[in-house]
Amino acid sequence: MNRIDPYVIPALDGVAYGLLVFVAAAGLVFCFGVANILNLAHGTLYAIGAYTAAAVLDGGWASLALALAIGVLAAAAAGALLAGLLTPVATGNHLTQALLTFGVALAGGSLLVAGFGPDDPQVRVPAALDGSVVVAGHRYAAYRLVFIAVAAALAAGIYLIVRRTRAGMLVRAAVDDPEMVACLGVSPARIRAGVLAAGGALAGAAGVLGAPIIGPGTDTADTVLLLSLVVVVLGGLGSMMGTLLAALAIGEIQTLGVALLPSAAPFLLFAAMAAVLAVRARGLAPRWRAT
Amino acid sequence: MREAVIRWVRGAVAAVVLAGLAVAPWMVDDYTTAILARTLALGLVGVSVALLTGVAGLPTLGQTAPYAAGAYACAVLGSQVSDVGVVQLAVAATAGATLAALTVPLVAPARGVIVLMITLAIGELVVTVLGRWRSVTGGTDGLAGIAPVRPFWGLPVLATDQARYLYTLVVVATLVGAVLLLLRTRAGLVLRAGRDDEMRLRASGHRMPLYVSGAHIAAGAIAGAAGSLLVVAQQYISPADFGFDTSALLLLGVVIGGTASVGGALVGAALVIAVRDWLFGVLPGHAPLVLGALFVATVYLLPTGVGRARRPRRGSPPPTAAPDVAPTPDHAAVAGSRR
Amino acid sequence: MSLTTPARRRALGATLLALVLTAGTACAGDGPDTTAGGPIKIGLLASLSGTYQSVGKDIRDGFELYLATHDGKLGGRQVDLVVADEGNGAATAVPAATKLLKQDRVAALTGIVGGGSVAGVYPLLQETKVPLVGSNGRPELKDVSRVWHTSYLSDEPGAAIAQHVRDNVNGSVYAIGPDYQGGWDELRGFTDAYAKAGGKLANPDGKTTFTPFPATTNFTPYFARIKASGAQAVYTFYAGSAAVDFVKQYAQSEIKDIPLYAAGFLTEGGVLNAQGEAARDIYSVLNYSPDLDNAENRAFVAAWKAKHDGSPTTYALASYDAAAVLDRAIGAAGNDPTPEAINEQIGKLGQIASPRGAWQFSTVTHSPVQKWYLRQVRQDGRALSNTVVGDLATIGQ
Repeated sequence: MNRIDPYVIPALDGVAYGLLVFVAAAGLVFCFGVANILNLAHGTLYAIGAYTAAAVLDGGWASLALALAIGVLAAAAAGALLAGLLTPVATGNHLTQALLTFGVALAGGSLLVAGFGPDDPQVRVPAALDGSVVVAGHRYAAYRLVFIAVAAALAAGIYLIVRRTRAGMLVRAAVDDPEMVACLGVSPARIRAGVLAAGGALAGAAGVLGAPIIGPGTDTADTVLLLSLVVVVLGGLGSMMGTLLAALAIGEIQTLGVALLPSAAPFLLFAAMAAVLAVRARGLAPRWRAT
Repeated sequence: MREAVIRWVRGAVAAVVLAGLAVAPWMVDDYTTAILARTLALGLVGVSVALLTGVAGLPTLGQTAPYAAGAYACAVLGSQVSDVGVVQLAVAATAGATLAALTVPLVAPARGVIVLMITLAIGELVVTVLGRWRSVTGGTDGLAGIAPVRPFWGLPVLATDQARYLYTLVVVATLVGAVLLLLRTRAGLVLRAGRDDEMRLRASGHRMPLYVSGAHIAAGAIAGAAGSLLVVAQQYISPADFGFDTSALLLLGVVIGGTASVGGALVGAALVIAVRDWLFGVLPGHAPLVLGALFVATVYLLPTGVGRARRPRRGSPPPTAAPDVAPTPDHAAVAGSRR
Repeated sequence: MSLTTPARRRALGATLLALVLTAGTACAGDGPDTTAGGPIKIGLLASLSGTYQSVGKDIRDGFELYLATHDGKLGGRQVDLVVADEGNGAATAVPAATKLLKQDRVAALTGIVGGGSVAGVYPLLQETKVPLVGSNGRPELKDVSRVWHTSYLSDEPGAAIAQHVRDNVNGSVYAIGPDYQGGWDELRGFTDAYAKAGGKLANPDGKTTFTPFPATTNFTPYFARIKASGAQAVYTFYAGSAAVDFVKQYAQSEIKDIPLYAAGFLTEGGVLNAQGEAARDIYSVLNYSPDLDNAENRAFVAAWKAKHDGSPTTYALASYDAAAVLDRAIGAAGNDPTPEAINEQIGKLGQIASPRGAWQFSTVTHSPVQKWYLRQVRQDGRALSNTVVGDLATIGQ
């Protein structure tokens, strides 16, 4: 057996995990980069999607479409609600926003668990994907393989929407020159509500699609929020491409890194983050102004 | 005139609170006394958080690291050296300051949200080490059976909740007084001025990195001393005492109390911790829900903005900061709670 | 504006502080409450919020079930059960236990999910001289004179199954578990007994692989190492969300055909539901299974199912037994069941009839001397359940 062989599956899995973290964190990039809002309830929006998946999925394709629709709508609505709550402090400092959104996350998390029960619910993926396939001589979960393709398409979609559509242009303009956008007659409050709803929709989609990987449970919101914050900060606070690179790096650190250096596993994530941030306070990628 | 009134109100409130705290052990039951002692120790960590967040302009989620270093140094080393409280305090403060000094190269050059994430990482790494270094720290189950201390040579050991509380109160009051005095000195003024406009201070020849590093080490020493008080109040420590929950709640408490005000930070941090502990006792199962609702309500009850330090921090705002928010780009944030 | 802001904030702070202080005094207890024939206060501390709340709720429900089926009485006295929330561990458990012991002044304490929480509460027990009849986690303690557990010691499940694994697995076994005290103890119990039985670990360095806990949600990299080691079976211990992740990912991994043996918590209670088909055929060792055939168990399971969905777990059973222990000890303590008297009587109980089969407290460890069962996840009607397939060793000293 050659020396690379045992690491093929972890490396592949790192891509799946990294892309999941990216899709989950993409909404947070919008919140931070466009609306300049630090949203600590972001993980809760993912959890809404994940719990929806657990409640709706029954092993068929139709239920997946239904779960996606409900999860995206519910999380987007929660995002818009959050934007309303944030109105009085939208121009305040990040610490005040943190206080409010942390409170919402604590209360929202309790309500989700109260509604869906303390046990982790079961997530039934479509039967066709509920098995494993052989990749380069190794077994690998079929769902994760498909997830890589879907998440990559989603990432490309986010990029195209931001680059090519009118809404995307407004978003980019809001990053560069908010006063000018305000002069165009688009109110900051509307941009904020739109951005938080879009961020919620992305988190909800990530929650539904990612539920078989990071499933719904009492700690889901915290896990996702922490990973999202790490990659958003590493990615340079507002850069989509930087966040994608950071997410893939974190994915590989959490899988390939663990496989290569198992004894260092407990320290890898935070040691790598502290080292990178301390060396390059600007993150992994140079800031991409146009997100 | 206004200034005078503010100062008078402040002084009066502080005096009433201090007097209330001093007579508290004779007014309330053992439970409340024990909880107050523990809360005061955490309030002191809150003071160190405020020193970094509000005064030096380094919003931190990592003061649990020197706090833990102080507590474990006190429990493992201090109790071997002596059973005298002030000696253990000194050991704990030294340990906290040493850890803070070691992390200065990581923290001091960074700003804003970056500081938050770096300090978060330091805090998590320290907790991981504490959980794994079983031969010294007792692992994730913690250290129990720590011997009681006597406050000073010749005094009896602290055996009751009242005694432990009064010892904690005296130490906290002394250290907070020392911090307040320190902030009135030139160094304190330079730090605050540097937080508001670092470029100007650098231009006028002040070596800001030196001042910021000094503040970081001093905050570490204070958090370390608080660790020793936790050992006294609780007679047990485990990595769970220094987890992410604690640092997040402390930072939020400091934000509620006012990041730039030492007294406010103490009260804010103590309140948040006290309310949490109280809720876990009286509303089993619903504490997080109520605590979350209280955080949201606090934001609305303090409509003029919670943070007092609202002027720009050191460094320039990021290019993404929109002008409508540019006057207050406090690059501060906290991350979600992890177990 | 500048005048009102700080003053208002301070006033608010002072008011809140005053409120907390008065609330503290207002509900202060009036001292010990064990008058002759009168009611008795029992404190129950369990994780009712946070990560371990599904275990905590089972513990609360198990104790309440015993009370409900015994007229709300223990030892002939009406019970005033005071419940407090342990949260995620010692940081929240200690203040909550302080309230139970120093404000409510309970005559005995029960519950407590985490071993770390027990360690944190331990100094308070020594100070207030109140006995703890714990129903789950048990840390290493210097002096157990006031600490009793109706559950098990963490190294016992592994010790009970090691010989069976040695006899039935033709080759080496890979040991993997979570990196915290509970995981270290569970895995040490297995590896020590397995080595004594002449077995050899498949792990490359001969030592158990520990995964960061609770941070690990992705076990794929570890499965790659297990595959590479050539192991013929895997022994593990996980509980809660980590158990769900581990089992689901195992079933889709390249080692899905390698038999999986585990401490029973891997497939116990709610996690089995979340695992679904992925858990089929897993072997586990535990001190209880709802399909045990004895009169106590039939009554217990029927009473449980009348109130709750699904079958009772070992957590609920341990708490039910804790109530049974207190019932007999309080009854035996006579007219003045002080904490000291209750503690003394617990030591004299002898055999305790239980749904798990009769057991008794070890005089050395104050934890049960009990039989362990081999279970396998099999189809039971429409759902999967843990079915007893054999008896293993009786363990305890």
